[in-house]
Amino acid sequence: MTRHTRILMSVIYWAFVIYLFVPLALMVTMGFKDSKFIGFPIRAWTVDWYAAVLQDTQVMSVFGYSMAIAIATTLLSLIIGTWMAAFLGPNKFRGKAILFALACLPAVIPGIISAIALRIFARLIELEPGMLAVILGHTVHNVPFVALVVMARLSTQPKSHIEAARDLGADSIVAFFRVTLPYLKPALVGAGIFCMLLSFDDFVRAFFLGGYQPTLPVLIFAKLRSGMSPEINAISTIVLIMTAILGLWAERSMRRLNKGSPQ
Amino acid sequence: MNGDKDTIVHIDNVTKRFGDIVAVDRLDMKIMAGEFVTFLGPSGCGKSTTLRMLGGFETPDEGRIVLDGVDVTRQPPNRRNVNMVFQDYALFPHMTVGQNVAFGLELKGKSRPEIERRTDELLDFLQLSGFRDRTPDQLSGGQRQRVALARALAPDPKLLLLDEPLGALDAKLRGQVQIELKDIQKRTGKTFFFVTHDQEEALTMSDRIVVMNSGKVEQSGTPEDLYFRPASRFVAEFIGETNLIEGKVRGRDKGAIVIDWNGVDVRGAAHDHQPSEGDHVTASLRLENVICHPKKPASRTAIEGRVVSRLFKGSRTSLDIRIGEQEDAVIRAYMDAGNATQIADDLLWISWEAERLAVLRD
Repeated sequence: MTRHTRILMSVIYWAFVIYLFVPLALMVTMGFKDSKFIGFPIRAWTVDWYAAVLQDTQVMSVFGYSMAIAIATTLLSLIIGTWMAAFLGPNKFRGKAILFALACLPAVIPGIISAIALRIFARLIELEPGMLAVILGHTVHNVPFVALVVMARLSTQPKSHIEAARDLGADSIVAFFRVTLPYLKPALVGAGIFCMLLSFDDFVRAFFLGGYQPTLPVLIFAKLRSGMSPEINAISTIVLIMTAILGLWAERSMRRLNKGSPQ
Repeated sequence: MNGDKDTIVHIDNVTKRFGDIVAVDRLDMKIMAGEFVTFLGPSGCGKSTTLRMLGGFETPDEGRIVLDGVDVTRQPPNRRNVNMVFQDYALFPHMTVGQNVAFGLELKGKSRPEIERRTDELLDFLQLSGFRDRTPDQLSGGQRQRVALARALAPDPKLLLLDEPLGALDAKLRGQVQIELKDIQKRTGKTFFFVTHDQEEALTMSDRIVVMNSGKVEQSGTPEDLYFRPASRFVAEFIGETNLIEGKVRGRDKGAIVIDWNGVDVRGAAHDHQPSEGDHVTASLRLENVICHPKKPASRTAIEGRVVSRLFKGSRTSLDIRIGEQEDAVIRAYMDAGNATQIADDLLWISWEAERLAVLRD
């Protein structure tokens, strides 16, 4: 590589980094501006917007509501996804490939299509728009991700581990819970956090399936329609920091757990 | 069941097929309590399938498996009092050494103090006491193998299955572990069912070796039996190095069978069958059973030969000796390196005890 291309490469790299982070930096900065209007110049700084967010009971309750949906979705997705992977992984049967493709479809269908379909289906089965509908909608979307991650991990587990458990007196259920599940732990932690983020972040499904109570993205959208305000920047910054922490923690704990297994 | 109280396992006419392939073909065999029995054979001979049927991981298509008087043919692995040391050890990576060993005891519903006591006892017995709180990835290959053994012995099985457990160890360690394993078997008095494709391993450790080939038993006997009195060409060639002699039975002479081998009369013995005059037979003669004489001996059965090639191997020399004028009538023999230098003009005489030339059944 010549000196020129090396310089060119690093310029491109830094340009990309700036492109990635400047919008985020701007958003964070504006949250500290002591003025109702977003934009430069900034004459005075304040943390009032953050105080306002923390005191805003609507924002806080919506935040809690979104968290509850994310947690319920995650648990449900992990259970169904793991079950699906454990069932689809080792067993051979007719139509396995088709069943697998169908199960993975929700992950790639455009959100808007999936949201409309779910809305129609919810009405058909007389499921009221609201928390349960959102949870079910998010779960349908998340299950394939869990199943894929768990299946990948499952495929690296030596068959002899389960046989050894059976040999030592475990029936297939005990063997699953005591040997396979611990082996899947890193995959479950990773997939679980991914589910949380997917659910917390989702706007389209929550918008179509939600009732009167909005989720956080829906609330932010509603607030935006009445004009951009630094309060939104403050909310976004809080969410940004929390997701970053969650993501980093997931990455770290997955690496630590992976170390403890042979593969 | 029947008065046969020393039989711990009866493999009763068992057949197992995988599609069109017959993995185990009407295997009928009894294993005695306290025996170290090795199933030996090339890959695909059915030895591992037999082991897996004993463990409960495969179900026979025909026949029964009787364990200590109880028909366990259709019992799942968790219900039979049989434990296994897996080829890759299959230690649970998320558990410590102690937890691995205790696993089988917990599932048997033993009390905490008893589990602790038995785990301590086994770790002590296998010199693993210092490793109790380590995880498997912090152990060497030999230590893992011992943990796998401790874990399988913990529930006090009636039969211990070992599926090529030395395959993953390096050659130097393997020799040492062979001795250890035999010693452990003697001290515990357990019945060991060992599976391997390594003939040396089988000869070193076993009370009895069962040689399998294409799903059938070729021969079953003590290591000495198999080595010196092979019943078939397969056994003779699979275990050790041997001379195969083909010829026609001419008759008998003082109990020995006389075979016409390329015009030369050679004497042998058949051990589990009686070939008749005129039969075309193959016989096996181990290299170390051939006695070489640099001078013509008094024995009337000694045969004159000519050395066609010699290989110096340190303490002894391996000689290829041609008998008569036929190109392929060659016997390979060992000779002390010192004696070998006394051979003049490559001319020597060879003899053997008739008992040592085993006439094979095929």
